[in-house]
Amino acid sequence: MINYQPLISHFKESPLLIQIAWVASCVLITAIILLSIYLKIMRYHLRKKEKENTQFKNEYEASLIEYLYSGDALGEMNATQESIIQKIKVSVPIKAKRKIIISVLYNLMNEVSGEMSDSIKLLYYKTGLIRYALERLESKRWHIIAKGIGELTRFKIDEVHHKVSKFVNHPRSEVRKETQLYLVSLFRFEGLSFLNNLTTPLSEWAQIQLLETLQKFDDQQICDIRPWLKSTNDSVVLFALKLAQIYNQFEVQDTLMELLSHPKKQIRITAIQVLTHLYGVEAKELLKANFNDLSLEEQICFFGMLEKLVMPTDEPFVEKYLFHKNFEIQLLALKILKSINIDKYMGLSQTATNEKDSSMIKLVNSL
Amino acid sequence: MDTSTVKIILQILHFLFFGYAFLAIVSYIILSIISGKETLEYLKKNSFVHYKDILSSAMSPSITIIAPAYNESLNVVENVRSLLSNHYVNYNVIIVNDGSKDDSLERLIEAYDLEKIDYIVNDKIKTKPLRAGVFKSKNPAFEKLMVVDKENGGKADALNMGLNISKSKYVACIDVDCLLLEDALQKMIKPFLDETDTRVIAAGGVIRIANSCIIRGGKLIDVNLPKNLLVQSQILEYLRAFLLGRMAWSRLNGLLVISGAFGIFDKEIAIAVGGYDTNTVGEDMEIIVRMRRYMEEKNEKYRVSYIPDPLCWTEAPDSYKIFISQRNRWTRGTIETLKKHRKIGFNPKYGSFGMLSYPYWLIFERMAPIIEVIGLIYFAILVILQEVKWEYALSFLVLSYMFSVLFSIIAIYSEELTFHQYKKKGTGFKLVLLSALEPFLLHPFVLYAAIRGNFDYFFNKKKKWGNMVRKGLATT
Repeated sequence: MINYQPLISHFKESPLLIQIAWVASCVLITAIILLSIYLKIMRYHLRKKEKENTQFKNEYEASLIEYLYSGDALGEMNATQESIIQKIKVSVPIKAKRKIIISVLYNLMNEVSGEMSDSIKLLYYKTGLIRYALERLESKRWHIIAKGIGELTRFKIDEVHHKVSKFVNHPRSEVRKETQLYLVSLFRFEGLSFLNNLTTPLSEWAQIQLLETLQKFDDQQICDIRPWLKSTNDSVVLFALKLAQIYNQFEVQDTLMELLSHPKKQIRITAIQVLTHLYGVEAKELLKANFNDLSLEEQICFFGMLEKLVMPTDEPFVEKYLFHKNFEIQLLALKILKSINIDKYMGLSQTATNEKDSSMIKLVNSL
Repeated sequence: MDTSTVKIILQILHFLFFGYAFLAIVSYIILSIISGKETLEYLKKNSFVHYKDILSSAMSPSITIIAPAYNESLNVVENVRSLLSNHYVNYNVIIVNDGSKDDSLERLIEAYDLEKIDYIVNDKIKTKPLRAGVFKSKNPAFEKLMVVDKENGGKADALNMGLNISKSKYVACIDVDCLLLEDALQKMIKPFLDETDTRVIAAGGVIRIANSCIIRGGKLIDVNLPKNLLVQSQILEYLRAFLLGRMAWSRLNGLLVISGAFGIFDKEIAIAVGGYDTNTVGEDMEIIVRMRRYMEEKNEKYRVSYIPDPLCWTEAPDSYKIFISQRNRWTRGTIETLKKHRKIGFNPKYGSFGMLSYPYWLIFERMAPIIEVIGLIYFAILVILQEVKWEYALSFLVLSYMFSVLFSIIAIYSEELTFHQYKKKGTGFKLVLLSALEPFLLHPFVLYAAIRGNFDYFFNKKKKWGNMVRKGLATT
């Protein structure tokens, strides 16, 4: 038998700092041992869970495909479908299994359309999955709410829109984003009405998602975007500008012209780009007249417009900027002159005063 | 000096060493707690994100991948193929052949059917001139690719050339031999597009070690733990640094470095600050510090963001010689950057950047190896003088060792509970065992390299990059 007494006495006689160090070391050793054992168990469970999940996913994928393809033309439920619903109902209360079912259903939803899509929605209701999604909306945790809304969007549950739309001004941007996507995914351009009262900024990420969602629809009949172009929320204006460009909103050119004097530079620049896209000749003349009052970025952007909308009458204006100190402006001016008066352009090499200008003229010529 | 004065000096020294070690440990604990919180928040935020929308959207912002290459003939064709296989829709790749002496350019021309084009470079940042010129592929399948052949000017100069040529709003600067996962760009661009009232000027991601991993057609197929103990130790070190350190600094908006292996930048700001500094070997850290300084001085709200997803995989040195050379360079880079921007340090004008990030890097990164070596020398003197209080020495040595092992295990947990990349049976045990061995396998060499870096910085000014021989990642 080992006698620990001398060791204990020695420890007791040691200074306090040493005692603390040894006690802390013992705590750390215990933690290391326990964590190492738990790591092994955890890794084992993670591997097991992954295996089970794959097995469960394959099993339910087969059942769900069977459910979809065993339906009759009248849309009536048959015995096979009923039994599959019963089978799924048993698994739905288990969170891990519910997650897999939802993921399988969602993947199927992406691959089918029309009646089959309605059939999946029906299954979503019948198995009680909707109840869990709605419960998520009641959660106090923002990411649970966002997940719930996301799920309702994916399964096109438009019947609960009154429960979802109340989150449109939620303090967390992630919840707002999911709500906006829900509204647009299910109610198309009408869903964009949340923009009327939006006080919080719409991030670039959210804007791209909304535009992508809108472009998926066959019906591309857009509503009047003028109120959004006049919004006091700058991000709404920027979003509306994107809509104007994508949906070729020639009828809002007047409102776009007003935006050329917007206090926000980014809006002015985007407005020039959109007007370029919409062949806004009036805007070109206006900007040309006020060219010197524009910021450098706007000037560059304007030359981009001029490249597309140039007329022979613009030649005297362009000539003034052939040797501009800004690279982009000079490049665009040279390109424009080349396109409208090649003879004058060819004569430029004689007037160039420095090597940089000469090489630029030479290079633009080769483009 | 009488003996009592010497004793007082010794006591002060003891307390200084003790205080430094204590503060370092406390800072590690605090940073790992913040990291944990930030990682959880990130996972929550991204658990319902629809990345596919951004992938296919023509409205998504354009990104240029800039990859400098110098004498990469062996793997350059394969590496470019990997860069071209990204799933993001709106991107292009610029390979800057930085005056390679080998046949890199010829190989690229042949493999990608390249032809020389007339191209006007806007010299917003001064760089070495073009050599053979600018090349584009005749094959529409490689329309995203552009190869620029220029005179040798170093990595920073090559990146600057890429910045000059890029027409995108954002640039991803990466090492050409890195393996970028297909969804890397859309995940990295998200922070830039998510913020509404703050400008994200740069974003970095976790760098993972790809030695022994299986790569096929430029894609990561299988993750393996390498057999080489040095590489294994670096895996553990990277897990600690990225999952328990940088996440916290991201939360505190105090990141001073984004790995040169992979980072995305707001091109406008990168150019506004003059691009990469060609006079430092730590250009990746220096540009971030300069960009931050620029934003602070402009008094604009900004962020340097960080993504914990394992998006970029790179080859780690598998020999101590190359490893020491790499760490030596990192040390010199840190010294050069902190010295160049010393105005920021302890300067309340720069907010938490000047009062927290900079001092932390100075005290716990820059000074750490020096203080450690002084401590070792002091300990050796005490041993010679037979003045060591062994009870204290032993108890604190054991305590610090246990802390280091536990800290590594927590990093392993962080990995297991989040991204779980090392799935194979037995790997968990190996990693735990490695936690116990790593302080002996890696730390002494890290320390040696840092001291050599300090020495070279002060007494060997001519030393630049040093050798970084790569064998290439395993492909099948």
